[in-house]
Amino acid sequence: MSEPIVRLRGVRKTFWRDREPVPVLDGLDLDVPEGSFEALMGPSGSGKTTLLNLIAGLDRPTEGSIEVAGQPIHQLPEGALARWRSETIGFVFQSYNLLPVLTAQQNVELPLLLRRLPRAERRKRAETALRIVGLEDRTQHFPRQLSGGQEQRVTIARAIVNDPKILVADEPTGNLDKGSTKDVLDLLARLNKELGKTILMVTHDPHAAERATIIRKLDKGQLA
Amino acid sequence: MIPLSYNVRSLVERRATTAAAVLGIALVVFVLSASLMLVAGVEKTLGGSGEPDRAIVLRKGSDNELSSGIEIGSVPIIAAAPGVRSGEGGGLVVGEIVVVAAMEKLGGAGMSNVLIRGVAESVFRFRPEVRFTRGRAPRPGTDEAAIGARIAGRFRGLEMDRTFELRKNRSATVVGIFEAGGSSFESEVWVDVETIRQAFRREGMVSSARVRLESPAAFEAFEEAVEQDKRLGLEAMREIAYFEKQSEGTATFIRVLGSGISFFFALGAVLGAMITMYAAVAHRQREIGTLRALGFPRGSILLSFLVESALVAVAGGALGSLGALGLGAVRFSMMNFDTWSEVVFSFTPTPQTLATALGVSIAMGLAGGFLPALQAARLRPVQAMRE
Amino acid sequence: MSLAGIAASDLMRRNRLRTALTLGGVAFGVLAFILIQTVISAWEIGVTTAAKDRTVTRHKVTFVMSLPKRYVEEIRRTPGVKQATWSTWFGGKNPLQEREFFMAIGVEPESWLDVYDEVGVAPEERSAWIADRQGALVGDVLAKKFGWKKGDTVKLTSNIFPGEWEYRIHAIYQPLRKSADRSMFVFDWDYLNQSVPERQREQVGWITSRVKTGTDPAALSKALDAKFEENEVQTLSQDEASFQRSFLGMMSAILGAMNVVSLVILGIMALILGNTVAMGVRERLREYAVLRAIGFRSSHVTRLVLGEAAALGAAGGLLGLAIAVPIVGGLGKFLEENMAAYFSVFRLDPGTAGLALAIAVGLGAAAGLIPARGASRLPVVEALRRVA
Ligand SMILES: Nc1ncnc2c1ncn2[C@@H]1O[C@H](COP(=O)(O)OP(=O)(O)OP(=O)(O)O)[C@@H](O)[C@H]1O
Ligand SMILES: [Mg+2]
Repeated sequence: MSEPIVRLRGVRKTFWRDREPVPVLDGLDLDVPEGSFEALMGPSGSGKTTLLNLIAGLDRPTEGSIEVAGQPIHQLPEGALARWRSETIGFVFQSYNLLPVLTAQQNVELPLLLRRLPRAERRKRAETALRIVGLEDRTQHFPRQLSGGQEQRVTIARAIVNDPKILVADEPTGNLDKGSTKDVLDLLARLNKELGKTILMVTHDPHAAERATIIRKLDKGQLA
Repeated sequence: MIPLSYNVRSLVERRATTAAAVLGIALVVFVLSASLMLVAGVEKTLGGSGEPDRAIVLRKGSDNELSSGIEIGSVPIIAAAPGVRSGEGGGLVVGEIVVVAAMEKLGGAGMSNVLIRGVAESVFRFRPEVRFTRGRAPRPGTDEAAIGARIAGRFRGLEMDRTFELRKNRSATVVGIFEAGGSSFESEVWVDVETIRQAFRREGMVSSARVRLESPAAFEAFEEAVEQDKRLGLEAMREIAYFEKQSEGTATFIRVLGSGISFFFALGAVLGAMITMYAAVAHRQREIGTLRALGFPRGSILLSFLVESALVAVAGGALGSLGALGLGAVRFSMMNFDTWSEVVFSFTPTPQTLATALGVSIAMGLAGGFLPALQAARLRPVQAMRE
Repeated sequence: MSLAGIAASDLMRRNRLRTALTLGGVAFGVLAFILIQTVISAWEIGVTTAAKDRTVTRHKVTFVMSLPKRYVEEIRRTPGVKQATWSTWFGGKNPLQEREFFMAIGVEPESWLDVYDEVGVAPEERSAWIADRQGALVGDVLAKKFGWKKGDTVKLTSNIFPGEWEYRIHAIYQPLRKSADRSMFVFDWDYLNQSVPERQREQVGWITSRVKTGTDPAALSKALDAKFEENEVQTLSQDEASFQRSFLGMMSAILGAMNVVSLVILGIMALILGNTVAMGVRERLREYAVLRAIGFRSSHVTRLVLGEAAALGAAGGLLGLAIAVPIVGGLGKFLEENMAAYFSVFRLDPGTAGLALAIAVGLGAAAGLIPARGASRLPVVEALRRVA
């Protein structure tokens, strides 16, 4: 495998609840090779979401360095970090988080608004992304007119429309039934294999984890 | 019945949006109360100077003292008419001259007109409601003046012991300040009638004559006697009727303007209240579903939300009324177009203005709350709990 | 699609009822604002459309008191005066409709028509009026209100001059400028002068001069007042705008109150808008967090919220304008025909319309400021965590 695309060194994250420190991550080192499909497991409250947020540039470590795709993000200013996220990271959430007032296609188009692209081009890319997730016949549906599995596939389309290097998925199948879970996992595996996306997925489901190339376990602030 | 404390608590919980609705209603009630209070003030000031046993005589056809003129020789004839009370010491008939003068308003507001009344010494017996708060009455035959409490300090020279120009090279000195039960006399300057007659060249004339009648019922006989002699060209009116006519136009004007504006305001505020109440319903769908599941009937849900919006309205109404009451100290100076002179009004709260304000606010609350309450009452429990 | 598109979708899809109610509230606010401002500008029309080349001279104490007629000759001889004419307030009333207020004045017909050139009279009517000492010239609106026609004989009473006065209507005038009062009743001052008691004769109410081009009306006014300073009766001369303004000054308290009320409306509108925007933002915090996560900056979120709020204000403003145009139109027609003495011109001024719209948009944006700040400062991670 080539250079790691994600490199964490001595990452510590401490939350404060009232005056009391809540240490979550305790001097973590992590290397994620480019093109891998990783599953992150661990008991509830162990810090999986926290770790994912740090890697995705949503949150900042209390201590330590985070380098993603060659960029040390722990020291990027807010504005630059936002732009970096839009170019590098695709997000898949457990509860989809689609904007209910926009159609599937408009939701997928959202991240493209941050780029100077002609309207027609944005549309084409959104359609392509929806085709990749197999929803080309649902482009004009609103989220509430879709099933949970379909909603999650729209979210995935939104995550890949900017062609990011990394997808982060926090319990992407947590709200789905068996059939839909399989669809979504198949899709992620295909994106990993065919498009070479690095995928970081948090899951509680051992079957889901088995689809990944690497499984990591987080416990008591340390990776096992 | 769902307890009231439930509504109060939920209003407090959504305090920002509750406050917005309360304020909206308060603003409407404020404007409405202010205009009602001003109407009441106008009626009290212009209309409140009348007494049932007094009558005023003007030249036929003129509807105010300023444009009226009576030969001074007519005054004894009027005094001798049937129905006029006779008494020792006079004071039961007064002939007065009314003129206006332009004076400089203090505070850089330019010039405005002040009504100057030439009065006989007996006027203070004729109008016992007049009380001096400072100084004394002007002496006959002097250039002394008494000024009404409401214009004191509003015009240059109209202050105790100061002088002002009646006309060029003819000044008068303020020797007293009087109150007259809030009536428009408090916006006038009173000077001895002979002084005014000379200064304004009204030889042989008075503007009006007023008499005190034996009883209010004596008016008909008096009127008939005064108006009978066509050559005199006189017209008699009950003082109350005369003052009511004076205030009618201004009061109607303010009433129409005030209620017209309040109406559109109210529509806006009702919509505001509706927004708040719909949000309250949406916010509590689950709770409503639960209440229904527990067995509360639709009616009690409807009632509960109506009560809640009425609470908002009453709070708004109280706040608005309180703000309007704060205007009690404000003096509102306005041209009286009948006399072309400035009259100072106050915002006068009455039980009616308060009741109207509160009534209108509750009506606004119910109007704004009805549709949302109906929606809440119609929720189906199972569906509501799933949301 | 764009940020504006998202805002529009939010408004139209999320809570249509609330959006509609808000639009209604803003629309009523705009309507009330426009009505009040139109009333104010209708009253101020005398000032804003006053002739620039006219000066009015009146008794220094009050215009209710009269001037000696010989002042007219003196004024006419003053350099800079092109023409001067006089008017006397008659206080006229139609005995059949006592309550209708209109302006009845006695004038010198020829010079009056020279000076008041906004009064349009057909040439043959003009000469007929001038020829008859008991003739009257009547505004078209007044004639219509009382059902008077050319050739009618009408009777007026006065609250100043006793008795019944008879006139023959020879001419009906049309306004040539929109400032013209269309309900005047104008007759020959001579008729009045001959009929009043000896000591009231040769008196005039006020004198209006037209100044020559190049003469400053304000300077002329000063010169005129100086001329009469030592006389028994002193004068106060003002250019026409100031003269009109002094009338308005008498109503300044009402005008002030109406402006306060205008501000109160703005307050109500801001409350309605602010409430709606704040509720919308509160319900959508999570969506803003998602936008932030996928790379939108906090300034984008600010713009989204402000844009939505301003759009809401604009739409409400347009709706209000759409209601106001026919209402002001209908009301204006009614007032101009029936209450011309108070509202000679009651029209929706484009400036007022524009101002109302701008205020609606501005208030919308202002009402969005606090919620927008809240939304843009939102800690993304926490908002995503809420209701995961
Ligand atoms: N903003 C915060 N303030 C205080 N404590 C926090 C905050 N965010 C997270 N925590 C704490 O950090 C710990 C890790 O949280 P995190 O959400 O990363 O766990 P997780 O492994 O994703 O759990 P789950 O499997 O339930 O999603 C928890 O104990 C949580 O209470
Ligand atoms: Mg988690």
